[in-house]
Amino acid sequence: MEVLLQVLIGGILLGGLYALVAFGLSLIYGVVRILNFAHGTLLAVSGVLASLVFASWQLHPLLIAALLAPLMFACAYAYYHVLLRPLTRRSHFEATVGTVLVTVGTLMILSDLTAMAAGATQRNIPVRLEALEFGDIVVSTTQLLILLGIALLTAMMHVILKRTWFGRAVRAVTQEPVGAEICGVQSTRLKALTFAFGSATVAIAAVLYVLSFPVDPYMGFGLTVKAFTIIVVGGVGNLPGALLAGIFLGVAEGLTGLYWKPEWAPALSVILMLLILVAYPKGVGAKT
Amino acid sequence: MSKSLNAVTGWALGTFGVAALASLPFLGNAYLTTIGFTVLIAYILGQSWDWVAGEMGYVNLGHYCFYGIGAYAFAILLVGNWPLWVAIGFAVVVTALAALVISVPLFRLQGDYFAFATLALLPLMEVLAYNLTPITNGADGIVLPVAQVLQPAYLIALGVCVLTFMVTLRINASRFGYALKSIRNDEQVAETVGVHIAPIKRRVLVLSAAFGAVAGAVQAWQMSYIDPATVFGLNVALVPVAMVLFAGSGLRWGPVVGVLVLATLQQWLLVNVKGFQATLYGLIVLLIGRFMPGGFLRARWVKKVPLLRALAREHHEYMGETATAAQTSAASKELPLPRYAALGSTPLIQLENVRMQFGGNVAVKDVSLQIQSGEIVGLIGPNGSGKTTLFNCISRVYTPTEGRVLFAGQDLKGCSRDQIARLGVGRTYQIPRPFGDLTVQENIAIPLMFNEQPLSPRDAMREARVFIEYAELGHRLRERADGLSVQEKKALEFARALACKPRLLLVDEVASGLTPGEVQRFVDHIRHVRDRYGMTVIWVEHIFSALEKVVDRVIALEEGTLIADGPLADVVRNERVLSTYLGSAAPKAKAGEHTC
Amino acid sequence: MLSLKNLSVNHGPLTALWDVSLDVRRGEKVGLLGANGAGKSTTMGAIVGLYPKASGTITYNGQVLERPSTAQTVAGGIAMVPEGRRLFAAMSVLENLEMGVYAVANRKDMAVSLARVYELFPILREKATQNAGELSGGQQQMVAIGRALMSRPRLLLLDEPFIGVAPKLIDEILSALHSIAVEGVTMILVEQNTHRALDFVDRAYVIENGHTVLEGSREQLLADPTFASKFLGL
Repeated sequence: MEVLLQVLIGGILLGGLYALVAFGLSLIYGVVRILNFAHGTLLAVSGVLASLVFASWQLHPLLIAALLAPLMFACAYAYYHVLLRPLTRRSHFEATVGTVLVTVGTLMILSDLTAMAAGATQRNIPVRLEALEFGDIVVSTTQLLILLGIALLTAMMHVILKRTWFGRAVRAVTQEPVGAEICGVQSTRLKALTFAFGSATVAIAAVLYVLSFPVDPYMGFGLTVKAFTIIVVGGVGNLPGALLAGIFLGVAEGLTGLYWKPEWAPALSVILMLLILVAYPKGVGAKT
Repeated sequence: MSKSLNAVTGWALGTFGVAALASLPFLGNAYLTTIGFTVLIAYILGQSWDWVAGEMGYVNLGHYCFYGIGAYAFAILLVGNWPLWVAIGFAVVVTALAALVISVPLFRLQGDYFAFATLALLPLMEVLAYNLTPITNGADGIVLPVAQVLQPAYLIALGVCVLTFMVTLRINASRFGYALKSIRNDEQVAETVGVHIAPIKRRVLVLSAAFGAVAGAVQAWQMSYIDPATVFGLNVALVPVAMVLFAGSGLRWGPVVGVLVLATLQQWLLVNVKGFQATLYGLIVLLIGRFMPGGFLRARWVKKVPLLRALAREHHEYMGETATAAQTSAASKELPLPRYAALGSTPLIQLENVRMQFGGNVAVKDVSLQIQSGEIVGLIGPNGSGKTTLFNCISRVYTPTEGRVLFAGQDLKGCSRDQIARLGVGRTYQIPRPFGDLTVQENIAIPLMFNEQPLSPRDAMREARVFIEYAELGHRLRERADGLSVQEKKALEFARALACKPRLLLVDEVASGLTPGEVQRFVDHIRHVRDRYGMTVIWVEHIFSALEKVVDRVIALEEGTLIADGPLADVVRNERVLSTYLGSAAPKAKAGEHTC
Repeated sequence: MLSLKNLSVNHGPLTALWDVSLDVRRGEKVGLLGANGAGKSTTMGAIVGLYPKASGTITYNGQVLERPSTAQTVAGGIAMVPEGRRLFAAMSVLENLEMGVYAVANRKDMAVSLARVYELFPILREKATQNAGELSGGQQQMVAIGRALMSRPRLLLLDEPFIGVAPKLIDEILSALHSIAVEGVTMILVEQNTHRALDFVDRAYVIENGHTVLEGSREQLLADPTFASKFLGL
């Protein structure tokens, strides 16, 4: 029973992190209308980088996150302008194919370079803090901190979307790009900003992730699939939906590992996604 | 004359080329032969991928799954000491079945979602290969009991390549190919002109899978070892795709050129550059995506280089007739349409208590009406009154929530869209939806290929010219439909609806935005097709002055309910119609003037 | 106030406008008539900055506009009510209206503009918290016009504002537009229904296949024999 609860807690945590990653992808997809196949790889790279920095300089994880996020923001912004924006001028088929190839190529390059630089083995940030005990359940402070981090990030995103002009513009462009342009929203700039913002979110989530779970350079695409599953279930641009779907996935993976075999867990998200897409070809939240 | 000379030259060159390639293994250079073999396999994979992607428009990023399944099926049988050909056959059958099964859920998806879902199949297959150890031997892979089969493997691969090329030619000259191209452009419209799309999609995927499986089997034979990462790895999976896209997807010579250039490059890199291989592949893939996703053969500078210009020809440039043949076109304006006789007492179209509900919104509430054959009926009502929804119920774009739709006494329940099209219902769309990347001629030819009495592509292209002359689009015959002006697209839309040889023509707001002169032309066309060919016409329209010239009667809808049905003059004076539809223009109408 | 000279605009490989020239004086109501595909919406789009011009000049308040962005034109006092309304369906009516001031430098005056919009279209105050996608066609059109008015434009562009609007609401909207005109807002109206257009505007231009071909006041146009046969079906 205690084992089950431990697994559940771990699953909720992991799921919350998945949700954060998914939400970055969802924002990007809603505004920029592309699926960044390398999105999950950003977490892998950020995570490896974070653990390397910690291993070399023992910086506080918060500081690492504070450094990584703007770095990722700037890189993603430039990446969008140089590689992705020019494709929007092409025909629909070429734009789709082009973005797929560019982002998949990026995935391959990033994984390979990271593996070259840091080795292909798993890493994390081993922060040892006292554990708290609730009866027979042990919850490490690390886990609580991660939970807090997830909650804070989610709340922050919600506020940004609802209250800031940036957030309003993001929602407007997601729903009606031409109408937004007529209101003076400069779509190119907004798309680049959203792409950068969504990617920076992943970088912060990566630091949280690596406090409790291992990362390796090749886990990226599997994570992108999970993020996509979450978007499909929760709906594009739907923050609470993403959170619930993410937690559901995290818990399901944990239970699979507990009651069956952990090697099957990666297949779970793909099968789940395919099943849901069969029932709802445009995702659960989509309007017909 | 020159065309048959071209054909002879083509065959001669082709045979010579194949013979030259077939001699490669006997030159004694195993290294060269291996490269050649890799190129051949890449071609089979790339071209079979392109049938689904370039022809039909579905970007299947998981194509390599078929390769992998084929490789494993082949390996398992070979290890079990089955003969070579049985093993290959088994690989094809198993993969084809897998494709059939996966096509059901997969084709519910479109665009980005389809691309993503297919790509996600690769890691799934990899996990299955690792974990289903009793069948696949897990991470250890399967070692095949063969040695030194490079020569025969090469020759088999060459044979399959030639077959692949021939299949490509065959597809593009056939109705099947045109069905694929119509799906690529607009699936819903393809159905309403008579294309039965579901089996077409399945067929092309299975075909593509079968060839992918052969590639997997033959390469497994040559490599004599397979494991999950070799066959399902993301790194290798996109390479054939990138090769085809590099030169030009959807072109006859695109895959050949792309494979030759990139496979050579790949080999050179493998030999001369140590390490960073995945990075380099990734970089190549990225650069292709960024700079030439349409393929370099489609770049403008290519038109200036004669050899490349010949290689860059689109498939439709091989079809259709030469300019001189086009000039001897039908001088007679007689459209090849059947003359429909009246149906006697049975109405041509009958709606009984039809109700159409979307969630909470009831678009059509309990509408019953009858239209006799040979009538021209106008359908009016403010926006949101349900006119277009009613059209969509008849042409089966929607299935009515309740009620029946009868066509010539036959209940349309259970009929698919393409069946209804073949029964004799043709329609236009308010915003024209031509098959954009096909020529005007091909646009009209497609319905002719999928009629009750289907024509071959050659015959259909010839007959299409009559419709095109009727629509006064003769000067645009071989131009892409998406380059036409709006007026020309409307004329094309109308001609395409006529090419469906319909008994019932549904015209959806064709006059909106046209000048009165252009409207008059349409009015004349509509009267002509009814008078001469016995067509029945239902015309949804806002512009009363257009309807007034030609309709026998008018049906008025308001918020999904039928509120008036009778001669235009009467309906226009009907109290309810006046108050809700004409608003402040009502007093003028009462006085006898009509509003536009 | 606004002057277009020999404007030409491309839509990708197609030339949508060849040679459009028109002048609009302050406070005028000008109509743009013509067949669909003739270029009326493209002209409007070019004025507001949606489409870059290929050649020709656009002069606004004495200044030549060189490839302005929509943000610049809205900030400069031009607002558009686009064809098809283009509302944000999953955002509330209030949020839709608020988006109208997105490009305005001083967003604090929003409350005043909002009050004015509610005055013109009282039903919107009732529906303020409802999602814009749930409103009827006519109400949505009011939201679209209100959104454009939020930036206090000096020049208002209306592209087919009456499509899909119930006739009763058309009257309401027309009277609202009249009061806006009285306040001195200059208007350009694209409208399919030539009768309705000519009833509302002072002058009109006719655009055919990307060229301006006719111009005149209501009386002048109605008296012109080519105009009548082409556009009124007489």
